[in-house]
Amino acid sequence: MKRQMTFAIAALFLFAGWSLAEDDKPFKVPFETLKTQHIVIMVKLNGKGPYRLIFDTGAPTSIINNKIAKDSGVIAKDAKLANGGLLGPVATNAIKTLEVGELKATNISTIVADHPTVTLMDKALGPVEGIIGLSLFGKYKMTIDYQAKEMTFVPSDFTPPDMMKSVMAMLTNPSPAKKVVAPAGQWGFSVTKDAKDTDAGVSVKEVFAGGAAAAAGLKAGDRLLTLDGRWTDTVADCYQAASAVRPGMTARLVVLREGKEVELTVKVATGL
Amino acid sequence: MTPTVLMAVGFSMYAKPLITWRSKITENTMRWPHLLIGLMVALPATTMGGQDKAPAQPKDKDIGKSFAIPFRLTESGHIMVRAKINGKGPYNFIVDTGAPLIFVSKEVAEKLGIKAEAKGMNTLESFQVEGGPAHPKFKCIIDTPPQLEGINALGLAGAEINGIIGYTLLAHYKMEIDLTKDRMTWTKLDFKPPVPVAIGDKVKDGGELDAMGKMVKQLAALIGSKAAQPPAFRGFFGIQLEEKDKGVFVKEVLEKGPAAKAGVLKGDRILTVDGKKVATVVQVSEILAKTTPGTNVVFAVGREGGNGKEIIITAGEGL
Repeated sequence: MKRQMTFAIAALFLFAGWSLAEDDKPFKVPFETLKTQHIVIMVKLNGKGPYRLIFDTGAPTSIINNKIAKDSGVIAKDAKLANGGLLGPVATNAIKTLEVGELKATNISTIVADHPTVTLMDKALGPVEGIIGLSLFGKYKMTIDYQAKEMTFVPSDFTPPDMMKSVMAMLTNPSPAKKVVAPAGQWGFSVTKDAKDTDAGVSVKEVFAGGAAAAAGLKAGDRLLTLDGRWTDTVADCYQAASAVRPGMTARLVVLREGKEVELTVKVATGL
Repeated sequence: MTPTVLMAVGFSMYAKPLITWRSKITENTMRWPHLLIGLMVALPATTMGGQDKAPAQPKDKDIGKSFAIPFRLTESGHIMVRAKINGKGPYNFIVDTGAPLIFVSKEVAEKLGIKAEAKGMNTLESFQVEGGPAHPKFKCIIDTPPQLEGINALGLAGAEINGIIGYTLLAHYKMEIDLTKDRMTWTKLDFKPPVPVAIGDKVKDGGELDAMGKMVKQLAALIGSKAAQPPAFRGFFGIQLEEKDKGVFVKEVLEKGPAAKAGVLKGDRILTVDGKKVATVVQVSEILAKTTPGTNVVFAVGREGGNGKEIIITAGEGL
């Protein structure tokens, strides 16, 4: 991998204009939509299938039903699973190989369960045997295009979270410590918003002389609408947005001043 | 009833199931976590109809335009964006190809005075995702699917989720999602998405999802988990920092800021923060990462001429 990376970087220098290394060619995955407009894809699991599965960006993991889990060897045919109540027998396991369109993925975590909504759709709309979610697409930079009925996938450095672990952690420690959001750099102003104030934005309370915001022309009394393209409708919003802007970066503030929207460019300082 | 009696009642009602529940975890019974994750799958089982035929509209000026949509992956593994309804909010929504249309929670609809009309639907004056264009006259369903109730009761997402954005909006865009980034790219398509059709009345939802939702709510009460709390924010000190000579120096003291009031001077070398030695800006940031406004922090500074001293700065508000 390292060697390939080195080659890829070298290639970039030699052939300016080649923005994609061979490895980064997107894998195309065609899909169909059900009449309910759910995305369905034909997926081979461990070389078996293909099975008709729903592609769901709202699913924090993947779920396949007991039937295809056994058929594809994700669980053994004689496996004794835990009783999942409404979900039928349940287990968590890995799909060794998953193939869909041009994409071939390995070691994709899945839950084995008979999800009631999947069962319902299976009855109404022809075979639907499970859901492909974050445990697959989280590993890729992905595009979804309903018009072309095509998705594309390029491997990314992101590791999808292990939802089983997250849920267990939450159950054993249900009230984690309160979070404190910190700006990544220093802007040099403060904001305020009255509890009864439901208008868009927050009011700029103080702009500290010598700071980055002062240099950009921010004034006390300005109504801050967005910071770095994010809405700032609460004081907490401002901190949340500022937590994503590293020192040295420039970012835009949009403020309402005397009824007009004014755009300011701030070079965020190192400090706090 | 005296508090003791109340506690006794509380104990007899909740302690036993709580203990049973804890021991179930230690037995590693897989049923509950699976049930939870099963519920977290945002695949709302709506049997309702989708949009009516959209009226003919003038050519959309946003076609071909790309929008940077801020998002974050919640602790529950959902892609969350913010959106304003009729100019109000923002509210938190999950981006969900598993949903045929936009769901707005009953609580938010009530707060905004939006009433469910035929089949629970409503045409919003405007629906705008953060970073994206406003969609005027957009149809949604007023409903809180059991998934959302469960996720919110347990505070699973780390933020309250107020609704779901599904196909009827998403299909207008080519979406590019890279979870290593904090924004997605949505490019508006020249496309009239076909209207989703209801599954129909012959297949009835057996109410399993509702049952799961109820069970999770009970679970939330049992284990005493709370809905997601809004975060606090770090205090403001009013100093700009730089690294040189293997140390951290004050590059600038912002006028009237907390550090200026405490007597910090430009050029001071910061030796320790809260008693901990610092040699980099990152170390200073890490020590102060959870310091909220109003907190006193002791800085040991070195100053030219050798008169180093300890200075107490009271963190103020600002960013």
